[in-house]
Amino acid sequence: MNDPASAVPARAAPPSEVAAVYFDGRSARAHPVRLHVDGDQLVIAGEDVHRSEPLASLRWPERTRHGSRLLHLDDGASLQCHDSLEWDTWSAATAGRRDSIVVRVQQRWKWVMVSLAALVGLIVLGYGHLLPLAARGVVALMPATADETLGEAALSSIDGSGLMKPTTLSADQQKAVRTAFSQAVARLPAGDVPDYRLEFRQSTIGPNAFALPGGPIVLTDELYQRVGGDRDILVGVLGHELGHLRHRHGMRMLVQASVLSAAAGALYGDFSTLFAQIPVLLGQASYSRAFEHEADVDSVRLMKADGISPAVMARFFVKVRVPAPGEKAASAPPLPLPHLPIALASHPADQERIDFFEAAARER
Amino acid sequence: MGVPSDGLPDARPLKIQFTGSGSEYFRIWIVNLLLSIVTLSLYHPWAKVRRLRYFYGNTLIDGHAFDFHGNPKKMLRGYLLVGALLICYSVAGRFSPGAAMAAVVIFAIVFPALLRASMQFRLANTSWRGLRFRFTGSLDGAYRAMLPLFVPTLLTALVALGVADPHVQPQLYLKCFFGIMLITLVLAPLVWWNFKRYQHDHYGLGQWHTKLTMGPGSMYGLTFKVFGVMLLSGLAVLVLAVILFVIAAATTGFDMRAMPGNQGPMAVVFGLLGLVFYFFALIVPVPYAMSRSQNLIWPNTRCDELRFDSDLRFGPLTGLTVKNWLLMVLTLGLYFPFASVAFYRMRVESITPQLAGDLDRLQAQAQAMGDASGDAAGDFFGIDIGL
Repeated sequence: MNDPASAVPARAAPPSEVAAVYFDGRSARAHPVRLHVDGDQLVIAGEDVHRSEPLASLRWPERTRHGSRLLHLDDGASLQCHDSLEWDTWSAATAGRRDSIVVRVQQRWKWVMVSLAALVGLIVLGYGHLLPLAARGVVALMPATADETLGEAALSSIDGSGLMKPTTLSADQQKAVRTAFSQAVARLPAGDVPDYRLEFRQSTIGPNAFALPGGPIVLTDELYQRVGGDRDILVGVLGHELGHLRHRHGMRMLVQASVLSAAAGALYGDFSTLFAQIPVLLGQASYSRAFEHEADVDSVRLMKADGISPAVMARFFVKVRVPAPGEKAASAPPLPLPHLPIALASHPADQERIDFFEAAARER
Repeated sequence: MGVPSDGLPDARPLKIQFTGSGSEYFRIWIVNLLLSIVTLSLYHPWAKVRRLRYFYGNTLIDGHAFDFHGNPKKMLRGYLLVGALLICYSVAGRFSPGAAMAAVVIFAIVFPALLRASMQFRLANTSWRGLRFRFTGSLDGAYRAMLPLFVPTLLTALVALGVADPHVQPQLYLKCFFGIMLITLVLAPLVWWNFKRYQHDHYGLGQWHTKLTMGPGSMYGLTFKVFGVMLLSGLAVLVLAVILFVIAAATTGFDMRAMPGNQGPMAVVFGLLGLVFYFFALIVPVPYAMSRSQNLIWPNTRCDELRFDSDLRFGPLTGLTVKNWLLMVLTLGLYFPFASVAFYRMRVESITPQLAGDLDRLQAQAQAMGDASGDAAGDFFGIDIGL
């Protein structure tokens, strides 16, 4: 404050004037001025500045606790005031400035906390329900050819990567699996079976089976050998993969993960892209567990249609964990880490799934 | 105080001060976030204007605040346009290498123009002492500066296009990828310097017009140092992990062949310690690169009457980064506004402009205002002006 007169008025009455700095927008020269309201005009008066602006044309700067007040005039000129408190009291009392709702919410901790609660509620709801629902809707609108293109691209890149080699199973063994599976599938209600295509591969990643969008179901030789070619178990496993296809889980995961990573990137990308990955990984793991469960339900459906007791899948989980006699331990020695907490795992714990299949076996 | 060797006699330091607070930005951020989610992100431009006006209004140079003049309605149009483009780009790549290739080409054609518009818009809508900043980079300059950035992606997409061909050995593709990576690594500092030069050669305020006075050699020096720090921190973690492993094996006597989960509580503690070391190795090179590049690029950006000193220290910045990370994780991300304010304060307050001229003589010049459509490009690709 460069004018000693401005220090005189007591705080009790709102000041009728406020000191500010005026810039004409053409030069960087600062003009100290005093502002007051005369009728419906804002009067700017300084040593070489005399102008007035209709109050109605002004867009007042928003109130914040810190920071200066900058008022833009239409012709590019501007006013700056560093005594924000003085400016706020003056402009509210004499110029009729009013805070918008957003500013009032921002400036009150109580309302900020209400917003925070609403935000947490929305995120929980969106993460758990709205996003999966929206993804289901988006995928329903996508043509099936999108799944096929994606699945074929994925299969050829897996084949090109050296992770998978052509199968070593004999033609008879392959035929037995195909026949068993197609017989079981034929017992499902018509029109409820997605297109599928069985593929056999020898893998370097151990016993596994997976479904790719649009139809390819890959069964590894290692899995076939581990379960000793058990027909019932293989139908159960392939039924699980068929469930992934029927629910178009691959496409849904793609949509959900993309939305999630876009949201996380917008939120935390400025801080660290690494940090922004954390919610995406957690979300993907949780969605994946939900999908696995849906696929297990389908697997049970297929087994029951085929007259197989779902209890065989409990045997499967035991067999997958323990190498068959004569088979060398497939993967690297286990890391000296405890089981991952459930929030990080992409599949439900084996015991949970065993319990599910056993419960399904008891039901009729 | 005269510094004759710099060609700026009688330069006077202009103090940069940031007066904002984390708790206030927290309040702004929460409300912005809620409105953005409720409106399915359509509120984003309004949120951005509010955020920028808060940060700018609290950034004082020589006692005068910056201001942002952007119009959120115009910015919304750009946000939608660039958003749609980006969705197409990221989706296309998943379907086929051909579509990915086409997407990269289209993107490479559009991106430089968008980024230039973004720079123009951001600077033309930023003011100090009533004068608007400006960005004077030309369109063909933008292509020269940015097209080299796309070459590695383009080459990779080209090679991937060939993967579908079953007659070619997979080994060949692998060799191609390694070759591309090697060339990229060697040329990256040059390409990045070329891009920074386009930016820092074209900032203006009044009659002032900045120039980048460093050559690509300095960028190579910077890159080597950053790589060195990355290697060293990786090596340090490796050594620590081995020591940890030996201690763990000696004290808990765990058995490598036992099932995981049966190793006892000490193994969990050691496992977690290992993760903490790993985490340090990942984050420590970031503040190093940030402090060294700011201290290199800003002092080398100058005009006749103005130069910049930059003294962003590695130690305090690392301390701040670690603190921010810990609190971010502990608060599940709610610490973000506090972290950004602390980070921004440390970065801007470490810069000191040295002024040799008379500010009152600074006059506005005619300038292009930039298209708001471009504004969003900077947002999506995280390329900031670094003011």
